[in-house]
Amino acid sequence: MIWWMWVLALFFMTLGIGIVAPIAGVGGGVLFTPLTMAFYPFSTDFIRGAGLVMAMTSALSSAPHFAKKGLANLRILAPVVVVSIIFSILGGIIGLWVTNAFPQGKSYIKIGLGLILFVVFLVYLFSKRVEFPEIRHIDPISEKLDIHGMWYEPSLGKVVEYKTTNLLYALPAFAGVGFIAGMFGLGAGWANVPVLNLVMGAPLKVATSTSMMIITINDAAACWVYMARGAMLAMIIVPSVLGITIGARIGARIAVKSRPKSIKYLVMAIMLFAAVMDIWKGLHGLGLAPPI
Amino acid sequence: MEKKGPEREIRVDEMGLAFAKIMTIFTIVGIVLMVLPAIAYFMGINPYVPLTEAHKYWRLSANDFWLNVTGRKVTGYSWIFDHLDKTDCLSMIGVLILMITPLLSILAGVVKAENRTYRILLLIAALEFIASILVKSLVAVTSGAKKVVKK
Repeated sequence: MIWWMWVLALFFMTLGIGIVAPIAGVGGGVLFTPLTMAFYPFSTDFIRGAGLVMAMTSALSSAPHFAKKGLANLRILAPVVVVSIIFSILGGIIGLWVTNAFPQGKSYIKIGLGLILFVVFLVYLFSKRVEFPEIRHIDPISEKLDIHGMWYEPSLGKVVEYKTTNLLYALPAFAGVGFIAGMFGLGAGWANVPVLNLVMGAPLKVATSTSMMIITINDAAACWVYMARGAMLAMIIVPSVLGITIGARIGARIAVKSRPKSIKYLVMAIMLFAAVMDIWKGLHGLGLAPPI
Repeated sequence: MEKKGPEREIRVDEMGLAFAKIMTIFTIVGIVLMVLPAIAYFMGINPYVPLTEAHKYWRLSANDFWLNVTGRKVTGYSWIFDHLDKTDCLSMIGVLILMITPLLSILAGVVKAENRTYRILLLIAALEFIASILVKSLVAVTSGAKKVVKK
């Protein structure tokens, strides 16, 4: 295949990912990286570098739109990122140490990560009130921080007001998410959404939208390693970013109008996909499964 | 843009709006600065890595790619800043702007925060972000340098 055909194919694939990603509250890297590794001839270094820039740009393009609508909430983000950034630094350092000290360590961690994702998928599958969680008690810290917000929900035809809770339980969870994000160079939207939704009780749309805000920070911080190692090529990054940017603008508008139930199924599908990919890759790393 | 119907009832924090405004502006600036030089690059104008060379070696790891194309490994950001006259390197300036956009957005939130608690929380987040950049750059540079020495 001629080089420009790969570039064009990359553009159309990321355009599709861009439409889906904001609806699901993920940056798109979780779809881009495995798909590109499976179907494109680029080295994994360039794919991971491009995946991070693409996911970051997707989140940067859609997060402001969500914030203006009242869906992405800085009051939720502020305490969460204070914990997640510091643990992502630790994760990055320990991840590098694990890779150097134990060549197969990453494979075990990937399998563990896939299993955790699968458990979260099951929780999503069987939990009843995730679209608009009912909060009976607000913890003292959330009360003190006055975490609240509102948005206009077109599917209900009214303004929905909400508060969040359980910040004490959510902060260690975000520490774990930040640690994993730093270790694997991920935005970790798939993990942000369940914690925001199931632990803190944020409505699903608020959880997916605020997750996009968190991804901008996690991915931007992770990109610096790849840039400093030269794992970024204009030839791969530019068509990916252009595709995702155009797609994300379409996706962000669909996300605001779409029914929360459809987002739930999309998040679940992506979670299951990521779980299978992680377990498979982990097993492949241990020599127990063929490459994807 | 004026809100319509029930959307008028929505109140969004000033800090959230400031965060969104700065993010919108710098994302556009970053994308434009990334795309314009890239158009010239795709037209074959003054590249650092010619398109045919990139195509030939893009299957290799980043280290091997740069060894084959330029004869040396990349450890740090000099590959961009030393070649700003080259269209593909200039395009990376746009990416770098995108990479600092969340930091600038958080700082905008600090300025517009309604109370001291959020101002402090966002300021800590901004400082941690800067620390993260420094640590990760240092890790990339030192580990890359070690690999060069080993070779």
